[in-house]
Amino acid sequence: MSESGINRRDFLKVLGLGGSSLALTGCGNTDIRSGDEVIMPNVQPEDFVVPGLSVYYASTCRQCGSACGVMGRVREGRVLKMEGNPASRISGGKICGLGQAAVQVQYNPDRLTQPMMKVGSSLQPISWDKAMALLDEKTGPKSGIKGEEFGFLTGAMSGHLNVLTQNYMESLDSRNHYVYEALSPAISLAANRRVYGVDQPRLHFDKAKLIVSFGADFLGTGASPVHFAAEYAKFRKAPRGTLVQIEPKMTMTGGNADRWIAIIPGTEGVFALGIANQLLKHSEFTGTVPADIVDLVSKYDADTVSRITGVRSELVGHVASLLWEKTPSLVISGASVEGHAHGVQNAVAVQLLNQILGNVGKTIDGQAQSPFPQLSPAAGSFSALKAMNEKMGADEFKAVFIHGANPVFTAPSFMGFRDNLRKVPFKVAFVNALDETAEECDLVLPIFTAVEEFGSNVAWYQPEGVEITIQQPLMNQLYPDTRSMGDIMLNLVKARKADEYKAWPDFFSYLKTAIINIKPVVKYTDTDEHFWYDTLSNGVIHVDGAPQQVSAKFAATDLRLPASANAQDPVYPFYLVPSERHYFRDGRHANCGWLQESPDPMTTIVWDSWAEIHPKTAASMGIKEGDWLEIASQNGMLKVKAYVFPGIHPDAISIPLGQGHESLGRYAKGVGVNPFRILNPVFEKDTGELALYGTRVSVRKTGNSEIVVKDEGPVNTQMGRKLVVTLPADVAQLSKEI
Amino acid sequence: MSITNLLNNWSFYRQKRPFRGQYDLNKQYSEYKWAMALDLDICTGCNACTTACYAENNLPVVGKERYQHGYAMHWIRIERYWDENMGEFPESGTSFLPMMCQQCEEAPCETVCPVGATNHTNDGLNSQNYHRCIGSRYCSVNCPYKVRYFNFWNYPSTAWPSPLQDQLNPDLTVRTKGVMEKCTFCVQRLNEAKSRARTEYRLVKDGEVVPACVQACPTNAITFGNIVDPKSKVAKMWKNQQVDLYKDEQEKDSSMRGYRILEDLRPFPSVMYMERVRDMEA
Repeated sequence: MSESGINRRDFLKVLGLGGSSLALTGCGNTDIRSGDEVIMPNVQPEDFVVPGLSVYYASTCRQCGSACGVMGRVREGRVLKMEGNPASRISGGKICGLGQAAVQVQYNPDRLTQPMMKVGSSLQPISWDKAMALLDEKTGPKSGIKGEEFGFLTGAMSGHLNVLTQNYMESLDSRNHYVYEALSPAISLAANRRVYGVDQPRLHFDKAKLIVSFGADFLGTGASPVHFAAEYAKFRKAPRGTLVQIEPKMTMTGGNADRWIAIIPGTEGVFALGIANQLLKHSEFTGTVPADIVDLVSKYDADTVSRITGVRSELVGHVASLLWEKTPSLVISGASVEGHAHGVQNAVAVQLLNQILGNVGKTIDGQAQSPFPQLSPAAGSFSALKAMNEKMGADEFKAVFIHGANPVFTAPSFMGFRDNLRKVPFKVAFVNALDETAEECDLVLPIFTAVEEFGSNVAWYQPEGVEITIQQPLMNQLYPDTRSMGDIMLNLVKARKADEYKAWPDFFSYLKTAIINIKPVVKYTDTDEHFWYDTLSNGVIHVDGAPQQVSAKFAATDLRLPASANAQDPVYPFYLVPSERHYFRDGRHANCGWLQESPDPMTTIVWDSWAEIHPKTAASMGIKEGDWLEIASQNGMLKVKAYVFPGIHPDAISIPLGQGHESLGRYAKGVGVNPFRILNPVFEKDTGELALYGTRVSVRKTGNSEIVVKDEGPVNTQMGRKLVVTLPADVAQLSKEI
Repeated sequence: MSITNLLNNWSFYRQKRPFRGQYDLNKQYSEYKWAMALDLDICTGCNACTTACYAENNLPVVGKERYQHGYAMHWIRIERYWDENMGEFPESGTSFLPMMCQQCEEAPCETVCPVGATNHTNDGLNSQNYHRCIGSRYCSVNCPYKVRYFNFWNYPSTAWPSPLQDQLNPDLTVRTKGVMEKCTFCVQRLNEAKSRARTEYRLVKDGEVVPACVQACPTNAITFGNIVDPKSKVAKMWKNQQVDLYKDEQEKDSSMRGYRILEDLRPFPSVMYMERVRDMEA
């Protein structure tokens, strides 16, 4: 405090330099060694900063689409760690490893720190002023660009940023907003709509005594893994539920199953109909499905099913009897069921079991209807990318924007996406780091990471009611030359609809107004300001909505599965299973050291790609762990090391997705291979989605071999030691436990 | 330890450990004994705990080549085992085992340290004094769980390229070349909680503090607490599972799932695991 009664902080505030103004220099503190002026934040701490004490701020995790509520541990103005937010019904105060790695995205050494412009064939730094002028020149109101000449590709998005994006597209009179996710739930949503009339029913794991999962890796990937893990924990408490997993390659969820069944990829629907056939023989299930379906299903006797699926015939009756004994049950399907030309049929066949068993209404019911449909997520799809790719190929675009997706990396090579993108005269990427797509763009704009940004999010799987998770910055922007995507979008909209948006100088004020407008819906009675700050500190708004009514209906036409699902292919004898790693997903976070060094749960391999091959197949081909293999499809070849893995069907080869980057940064570039590249143009016939599991490959030994870097030791069993002891469920007395 | 302390508490220090009553609120030796219970039936092997540990404890990312040579610094790791009598397929899934320092009461690592860098704290932790450690690595050799990690390299100079160092947790050090390190049950969190409780003239409440792995675990498979406090959840679980901290061979009902790994080596671990359950009829 100086004699005049004004302390330094107030002085800075008068100057309009409060907030992040600690970087001001010239106050006389100089470094003894270098003579540089240094900042002494501990002497004059910022508001809300107590030196040495951590403060936790609520926000939303944006590492995947689950929109978990999280808390960021902030100390001295830096975010140090992510934790779950207990107020969030989605996360329940928990967090996965992918979510933890948000801080490594924030402090990533390979972040893009300034705008770049393509000069010749390389990207050169330019100023924001020049970048925005260029953006305005090419896409602004004076550019004369028409709606049909402009395309905007984004990842799945929700909340107010999505609203702004929609409004921007409207202001341009453009219908070319392409929402693309390489690993999209589109086929699953289509099957759900067909059966239940809703995109996504609510699943009650905790009420089920038996879960039969056809390839749904709900613990690792999928709609909401942290939430489903908590539900799974309830399901495993007394009375302990049983988990049966049927899939071509053992996922992490499969590793936790009481019974794991290997199946030929694409024949899951046949197995489900085989079970249905057995069940419908019980008198108690007669009348649960129409007669034509009973007739259709009756063709699937155990021997036929066994022949098609490659599963031992007695297991059909076995799973059927488990389902008959343990009610209520829950039957779900996942990516390996849906990623085929007949994906919707496959998934519908799986859902048929729920109808026969009377699970609909017991373990499956409707999610709450959101009173704010505008905030609801736009689920991504592959067909969006396909549509955009075709238009680019036909030279229809003058400009495209890309945000939240890396299509050059995730598009299969048969699409020629990179070449088509190059045809567009003006391409803009909004990114945190230079990925493969940004490298191709003419203008690359560095935006805030999720922990620097304001926002609102709504997940597409809602456990209870509707949860709007609020995103608030956990720290000031790390680099002065990065900008908020929200601000950029708002300015873009303002350029065309100035009057409607003039009330808001920035995205923050826009979001604040929008959130305060939710107040009456949640019956909050205090002032607007209190509501805003309560909302920020809670991190979530819970809105009750009437649950959607869910009833199932089935048509026999949706259950006609192709007889040739397991046809032999002499040139490409193996089924390719491009598996989704739970911390890599489509590969957008591959440049995090923590994730690269986090062992894959099933193989314990780190920092690499690998090809899983069954011991029987490996023995017949003379393949050992570490042998370099050439895995070839009609559309390309990958060189990858073999990992002999018992949890895979002998006719399948599994390579994990997410690696094989040519760009993105030091931890990702040149690590492993990218199976997206060699996928064949097989499409789900009802939705037009890429059939991710529809590619056949050949395997050839190269003769070279190299050590596989993994956590697992030379011995992969317990060698009789009592390390993990297994107790039979009928001996355990979980109800007596605390 | 001062010689006065040693002489004043001769009977306490002369006893072979652990001795019954060593951790007892009534006897005032120690108010805290940190312990865990880990349910292997709901552990899904997801590695949320291991990543949380990297974030909390400033663990370096060592890279592929060093990982290959066994230099990984993961204080907690998930081991994965296949069943020995597996047929063509692992039909009953796999077994995941989160393995971290078991904070043994009679820790094999402590007795072999030539400089006393690793020793037992009053609240039952097996501590590592980085300043005293000379890097003999005897402790690591003697550890039956292989959960001690040695800094063969100068990670502070390579593992956090700028600005990754801004993420580092200021509550604990970044270890340099030549010292051994290991899971501490997030001792920086425990100390903060203990100190806060002390200023309020109370003991740390159950659930007030948990290590990073416990906090992250999406299935709540790990329970952590003060086993001295009979009302704590972890103490109730140990009692319920009939696992006795002071015994090297438990006498329990076969239906109860509690056990400690490699108990017969007599290290008296502070982590109770609960057996994986499988529905054999499935």
